[in-house]
Amino acid sequence: MTLATERPPETPHHTKPQPKTLTRPGANGSFALLVIGALLAVSAWSLVDLRINVATLVDSAGNAADFAARMFPLDFPAPAELLALTGKTLAIVLCATLLSVLISIPVAVLAAGNTSPFVAARLGSRGVIVAARAIPDVVLAIVFFRLFGLGALAGVLAMGLHSVGMVAKLYADAVEQIDEGPRSAVRAGGASRLQELTSGMVPQVAPAFVATGLHRFDINLRISVVLGFVGVDGLGFAMASAFRTLDYQRGMALALIVLLLCVVVELLSGAIRRALLRPSERGSRRIGSGDTSGRVSPPWTFRRARRVIYGVTTVLVVVASVWGADLSFTQFLRAFHEPGEVLGLFWPPESGGIMPVLLADLWLTVKIALAATLIGAVLALPIGSLAARNVARSAAVGQAFRGIVVFVRGVPELVLAIVLVVVTGLGGVAGALALGIGSIGLLGKLVADSLEEVDPGVEEAVRATGAGRWQVYFAATLPQAAPAFVGHLLYQLDVNIRAATLLGIVGAGGIGYHLLNASRVLEFGVVTTVMLLVFGTVMLVELLALWLRRVVR
Amino acid sequence: MTATLSEQSAEEVGRFPEPVVRFDGVSKRFAPDVTALDDVTFSVRPGEVVVLLGLSGSGKSTLLRHVDGLRRPTSGTVSVLDTDVGNAGGRTLRGLRTRIGFIFQQFDLVGSLTLLENVCTGALGRLRGPRLGLLSYPRDVRLEALRQLERVGLADQAFQRADTLSGGQQQRGAVARALLQRPEILLADEPVASLDPESSAQVMALIREISAEDGLTVLCSLHQVDLALSWGDRMVGLRGGRVVLDTAASGLGRDEVMAVYSQVGATADAVLAAAV
Repeated sequence: MTLATERPPETPHHTKPQPKTLTRPGANGSFALLVIGALLAVSAWSLVDLRINVATLVDSAGNAADFAARMFPLDFPAPAELLALTGKTLAIVLCATLLSVLISIPVAVLAAGNTSPFVAARLGSRGVIVAARAIPDVVLAIVFFRLFGLGALAGVLAMGLHSVGMVAKLYADAVEQIDEGPRSAVRAGGASRLQELTSGMVPQVAPAFVATGLHRFDINLRISVVLGFVGVDGLGFAMASAFRTLDYQRGMALALIVLLLCVVVELLSGAIRRALLRPSERGSRRIGSGDTSGRVSPPWTFRRARRVIYGVTTVLVVVASVWGADLSFTQFLRAFHEPGEVLGLFWPPESGGIMPVLLADLWLTVKIALAATLIGAVLALPIGSLAARNVARSAAVGQAFRGIVVFVRGVPELVLAIVLVVVTGLGGVAGALALGIGSIGLLGKLVADSLEEVDPGVEEAVRATGAGRWQVYFAATLPQAAPAFVGHLLYQLDVNIRAATLLGIVGAGGIGYHLLNASRVLEFGVVTTVMLLVFGTVMLVELLALWLRRVVR
Repeated sequence: MTATLSEQSAEEVGRFPEPVVRFDGVSKRFAPDVTALDDVTFSVRPGEVVVLLGLSGSGKSTLLRHVDGLRRPTSGTVSVLDTDVGNAGGRTLRGLRTRIGFIFQQFDLVGSLTLLENVCTGALGRLRGPRLGLLSYPRDVRLEALRQLERVGLADQAFQRADTLSGGQQQRGAVARALLQRPEILLADEPVASLDPESSAQVMALIREISAEDGLTVLCSLHQVDLALSWGDRMVGLRGGRVVLDTAASGLGRDEVMAVYSQVGATADAVLAAAV
């Protein structure tokens, strides 16, 4: 006994071996904990420094009342105009998403380890993906407006090219996850490389490709509103114009429309995606057999009819969108008369004599992102937990919280930010709060998904000892998922830095404001500088995330 | 043991003088210290039904994959249907592959496609360009695919998604796919290792029957010794990438075959496991 008490306390260990815990000792592990602690401390300090507290909110109450008085009654545009605006926005977003899908398919095939023909192609296409993601769509839009002039084209190209960064990455992941069997079987039958891909790979990845495209459509819809502030046509542009002329009644009416549109599209595409990716249960999709003898074309079952209807509808929608977005090919070609001259405007990067201001505002953007991530974590952890099937008391509770997460994801941060800018005044508070609340959408989902993926055996074991629901949660569920949370939080921070930059455009604080301003006063070198500064910061966060994810597991 | 050629086998040698598959000193190394095939020399004459025996990792799959150029030898030559497989590429190799059917352990059908479309992919080698969807295949290919499905007894399942079928049905579908190539040689890599005994018997009988009908040369790897003895004409045993047994099946005792497994120095348990 005495011997035992004199021993140094052992590191806690569990009865079952758990590969994922934070408690692995070692220099790397301790350093990782230190870094995580420091990040938390800086985030908390940012929250204080930005004066995000009850007093600020109370002070803003007067503003809020004033604002509410000025936004009512809401002034909706005439139905025909509203329909035209909505149609324009949807058409631009659909064209942009389609463009990104068309570019992403070959890029992904070249980038995926199992289909890439040679190393240079793989590295090159990975480079394309990283570059597409690194350049913010707003910057692309500014460049393309300069190149192509006003209209839908710049918006479609900006969103389309930037989306390749995400879409091609996810497509490459999907290609790398295919079952190689059918592909080598087709190859063994003497098929060419292209046939191998179309017959062995395409049928396997098609559902994931469509689902990713729909997902990106949701994101682009929200982004299109932001791009409205730099001149991309549609609802966002109309909203930006209204706010610019301080017409809050019209502006908020449009914001409400955007909000509803985003949520509806999110719910719709979410439902389609779930249906697409649902694993087929064996035997569940059998069709009635018997009268197919001698047929060599598919019988007209309900399912085939439905598929044909879906296909025809899709084609019609795409045609309508290309027509509705009013894309002009001659406009596209015109840009190639003097592309060098226009691009020369953006290079070399210039500070415009305001480098200290830029750096200070970059720091403000990072602070906003850190504070927002902390707010997001505090909100998303309980909400995400309650949305997890294995944590929620009942299926209804779980679904209700999933519903909250989906709803928040549908809300464009921009609309939130605008409301908050008006309520709390220009500056970081509005940005941090908007992004913090918005974080529930992504972070809540990631938290819920990780919790649902834990080993249920461990939970069973703890439950078998007579533990209560929350004891099981803290003893078995949470510890298993916790390492994944570190990755999620850093990812959210990454997303928030980018988003904080964009929100600066509407006056929610930070470096983004200079993007818009510099492009207005035609100092395009400054646009490049801002872009490089944000890019460098995001890269730093990604490197940190890469390292932490490797250490904390 | 290799000297004990039976009379039946000697007759066959006389009837078919020219081998269709010839391995000459073939070695395959995946890493400097991983040898999958070690100086393999043997040949197969037209119409022979050869069973490859050996423990997992003895080189059976690698050997089969050398026949249609899915793997290339580190040294030695593989000659199949008068083509130097190791040095063939592009069109020549694809042309050769269309003449060789391959049946895999995991069936390797595309689960989300109908059985008929899966079978049609067997014709890709002689069609030009990519195909998406059943209707992208010419009608005569589809008719021929349906005929092959009739032969394997699955015509009534033609429009079922492949992943709704049982393992035995999927493997019979894979046989139909290989037959649509109009192959001269049929390779089968553990075709029944993932099937229950009843489906196994069905599939093996089907392969034997069809290869006799079409006059196919068959190379099939198996790990069930009893099944192999009653099924093949000739047994080739591999151990550590080397050929350690090559003899006619008739008159061959179970114990002699078991020697392929026991000589490796495996424990009695491993031998039993391999035999089950």
